[in-house]
Amino acid sequence: MKRIEIADQPRLGFVRVVGVTVDGIRYRLFRAAVTVAVIAVAVAFLMNILSESLIKREVAARTRGDIEARRLVQVWVARLSEPGSLEELLREIAAAVPGGDAYREAAALSGLSGEEMEAMARGCRTAAVYLDFFNSLDYARRRSLVYTAAGTGIFERLRSGPGRQAFLQALNELKSIRFVTSIEDLTAFLERWPDTRRRVKQLREGRRQAIEKVAAAPGGRDLLTALAEGSIGETVRSAGFRFDPGIETEVARQARLILDGRTVEKAVSMPEGRQLVARRRDMLPADVTAAVVWDFLSDAGNARWYRDRLVELDLPGAELSADHLTELAEQWRQGESLVRAEHLTMDMGTGWLGLGRRMSWLLMVSMLVCGIGISNAMLMTVTERFREIATMKCLGALDGFIMVVFVLESCFLGFVGGIFGSILGNLIGLGRMCAAFGARALLSIPFADLSVGTMSAVGVGIALAAIAAVYPALKAARLAPMEAMRIE
Amino acid sequence: MAEEKQNELRVIIRTIDLKKHYVKKGVLTEALRGVDVEIFTGEFISVMGPSGSGKSTFFNMIGALDSPTTGRVFIDEVDVAQMTAEELAFLRCQKIGYIFQTYNLIQYMTALENVTTPMVFGGLMPDESRERGMDLLDLVGLKDRWHHRPIEMSGGQQQRVAIARSLANEPGVLLCDEPTANLDLATGQEILDILRRLNEQKGVTIICATHDHRMMDICDRLMWIRDGRIERIAEREEVHVEVGSIE
Repeated sequence: MKRIEIADQPRLGFVRVVGVTVDGIRYRLFRAAVTVAVIAVAVAFLMNILSESLIKREVAARTRGDIEARRLVQVWVARLSEPGSLEELLREIAAAVPGGDAYREAAALSGLSGEEMEAMARGCRTAAVYLDFFNSLDYARRRSLVYTAAGTGIFERLRSGPGRQAFLQALNELKSIRFVTSIEDLTAFLERWPDTRRRVKQLREGRRQAIEKVAAAPGGRDLLTALAEGSIGETVRSAGFRFDPGIETEVARQARLILDGRTVEKAVSMPEGRQLVARRRDMLPADVTAAVVWDFLSDAGNARWYRDRLVELDLPGAELSADHLTELAEQWRQGESLVRAEHLTMDMGTGWLGLGRRMSWLLMVSMLVCGIGISNAMLMTVTERFREIATMKCLGALDGFIMVVFVLESCFLGFVGGIFGSILGNLIGLGRMCAAFGARALLSIPFADLSVGTMSAVGVGIALAAIAAVYPALKAARLAPMEAMRIE
Repeated sequence: MAEEKQNELRVIIRTIDLKKHYVKKGVLTEALRGVDVEIFTGEFISVMGPSGSGKSTFFNMIGALDSPTTGRVFIDEVDVAQMTAEELAFLRCQKIGYIFQTYNLIQYMTALENVTTPMVFGGLMPDESRERGMDLLDLVGLKDRWHHRPIEMSGGQQQRVAIARSLANEPGVLLCDEPTANLDLATGQEILDILRRLNEQKGVTIICATHDHRMMDICDRLMWIRDGRIERIAEREEVHVEVGSIE
């Protein structure tokens, strides 16, 4: 008669376990598909928010860059006509990289020594931090801290005895406010403030003189025209501004576009010009605006016809070619789309991933909802198989084997669901962004960020599914076989 | 005669004052109230009793499928309560075969895969387990149905697959919990014939809970359970004499 000798049950190889798992999924394909669908929807939601935010962030960055580039001429016109306020100069210096163009220009215009320049830059950087702090406050708090003082006026107020007293008292009372630095640092800064202010004022004076030099030059009266002709580059450089020839060319191009645009719009402001377009467009002359004209001119045929009429009637703009008219219309359209994109992306940039506080909160809530949805799906899948688990245990399956099978299965479902979900989420996000920003969205798809986002969304899918399966599987595996069978 | 038989055979399962209580919704149910039995190797024992008498609970205890509230179960003189999870799994896999009233086949596996599952758990290589699985299916007369899934088979066929599965690792003990309860008379008879043959040819100890009176004809001993206690144990010959006398 055989004796019963007890030994340890061997552990199964991974390949065997995977085989059993895949068999199980294949048999319950419909059930698995439902679970995958739940996970996919959850992940798609997550991915959608993520992809939209990432694309939007990229569009915002691109828009800002484009706007800055397109406003180069405005920037230079402003710089060459106004020395700027104390606060503007202060921020400019604070942002300037030591040794960079702006820094060297400031040194040249102010005539400050290297040491003094450094001291000023240091003071400006600290001042900018304080100004940012006061700007971030709401009106009521700000008022209780510094009354109605604004800009560099805040520093003057804090230097005065009563102003400082009121500030310290209010800071003590407003527990919710954390001041950016220690009060000692602020005191030290305020002591140095008159020096900093003096130096910035010196810079402003230097600038004012340089501007006068430019204005006194022949052709310096109408700055835009002069810039368009490229005739005052040398004067500007000799006055002390860092006006690179490369920048000069670009500024000249932009200035010409603006001037030509004005010429076209001048024709529209005349009754004859308005009537031309009104007749073609079948509308009242009074309703013809610049926008209507630009839209009309974006068609090359219309532009040719319009130009011929301009020549006939000898209206302003007759000297422009039809192609140039179309190009101007294109420029105008791009400008409009930039403005719209800027408007739509105004809320970007705060919070996690630049999502903004509201979006981050939404994302967290959606993660929670996804987690519960996936947990429910996995819980159902495992509990309805208690009998099978019990049978397997009767046949000698180890607790570990059962755990691995179920966690592996849910990982697999999570992976498939995650892939489908993230593809879906990406497509929806891309579609919505294209609808909002048009080609601008397509041009600024952040592929690297998106693939990281996709991978993390798939990871979240797998992790949520696996975590959700651990508890019921552990419960089933720990039970004595007959107890598990009884639960069902 | 009975004394001699006991001397030459070893005790394979022994229970000492076995008790099992369930608490469901605050009500205490005493399924077993102290069972002491000894079962010998090579025996064919029928356990009889009305529903709710504690038969199934007794079965689960001696099959190491459930843990007793108090009392002890020895399988081949080893205390089940002392075994680790790995040892219990080994015991269930290699040393005891289970046959259930509801077959409990795994639905997504074919007949052959069902039969080879315990071999897979036991660490046998695929080729070998396949060969042995086919032999076992041949034994229960289902060699040509090896690729069918449980839903494609009749109840009798499923139970035969379950028997083949219970024999996968050549266990010393076969525990059958009402193996014929869900089957008609003819198929039930087939199952009983298979069990008898196993007992006679391979010397497998068979413990069988049943309502089926045909079992009386083939078993060595009969055991009656009522209200969680052993009511009586009798040799087959004695029972027959009794039945005869009643008639």
